[in-house]
Amino acid sequence: MGIKVNIPYFLQHLTNGVELAEVNGSTVGECLKHLVEQFPLIEERLFDEQGKLLIYFNIYVNGESAYPEELAKPVKDGDELHIAFLIGGG
Amino acid sequence: MLTRDELERYDRQIMIRGLGEEGQEKLKRAKVIIAGGGGLGCSASIYLAAAGIGVIRIVDRDKVELSNLNRQVLHWDEDIGRRKVDSATEKLKRLNQGVEIEAIEEMITEANISQLVAGFDLIVDAMDNLPTRYLLNKAAIDKNIPFFHGAVYGFEGRAMTIIPGKTACLRCVYRGLPPEEKFPVIGVTPAVIGCIQATEVIKYIVGIGELLTNRLLIYNGLNLKFTEFEVKKDPNCEHCSYQ
Repeated sequence: MGIKVNIPYFLQHLTNGVELAEVNGSTVGECLKHLVEQFPLIEERLFDEQGKLLIYFNIYVNGESAYPEELAKPVKDGDELHIAFLIGGG
Repeated sequence: MLTRDELERYDRQIMIRGLGEEGQEKLKRAKVIIAGGGGLGCSASIYLAAAGIGVIRIVDRDKVELSNLNRQVLHWDEDIGRRKVDSATEKLKRLNQGVEIEAIEEMITEANISQLVAGFDLIVDAMDNLPTRYLLNKAAIDKNIPFFHGAVYGFEGRAMTIIPGKTACLRCVYRGLPPEEKFPVIGVTPAVIGCIQATEVIKYIVGIGELLTNRLLIYNGLNLKFTEFEVKKDPNCEHCSYQ
């Protein structure tokens, strides 16, 4: 069944236009790792050199914020993740 | 007390259950500061002026440029080179002479923000950059002024309402600063989000409906979806955790 990851539009050029990816994992971190395996170009936009999720990304699991320990947040089959980027335009 | 003209002008909204003449009088007494006279500020201010907000203060330090005109609908070709606050004030006064429009041409800074928001009931976040949004969020919390956030990027927009002392604030949700960049945007996106902010302002003043609090609304114009995320007060939030 897997876990769905919603990719924001401004990252979709790094996922070949894919908006909804399917991944596997038992934590948000594992899911994002699987996402990177499918779309390697996305890695440097999401993570710093130490592999930490960049602070201006928010991850939501089934509509709830995964902050503060986003990558350790447990997930299960059927869950839906959203990657949200901090925007400031007006 | 509403005048005969006001009763006629606002007749269709006075008809709304829960708004009525009493709600219209509340709108007339309200003082709203709109921080930013760009895409969001134009959209929000048009509908707040049309709805009969008593005093609208617009703060912006920029002049109108040709590249603004795809989205900043209060500024027209003939306004290029004018101060945005003057261009916006002129149009809003033509739209509704009964609304007092104050034009403040200043950059919002830590030094002047207290003075800029003093005496105002609500703050609309219509800025085009995150550092100033954070300043506004902090000032709103410190001064206990409801704060109506909106932001746009391309076809995507965000909105959230912050009631100091009661709900999650912008800093509970937004952390850090992404690298600065010129952001893409098409006019319909700030039009949608600015109208959502204006809707929230009107609801708050009148005291009807359910506010967009503890919820971050994400609008995606490309697939025409509104997604809502639940947000919570961050106990370690650097702006609101002391409350």
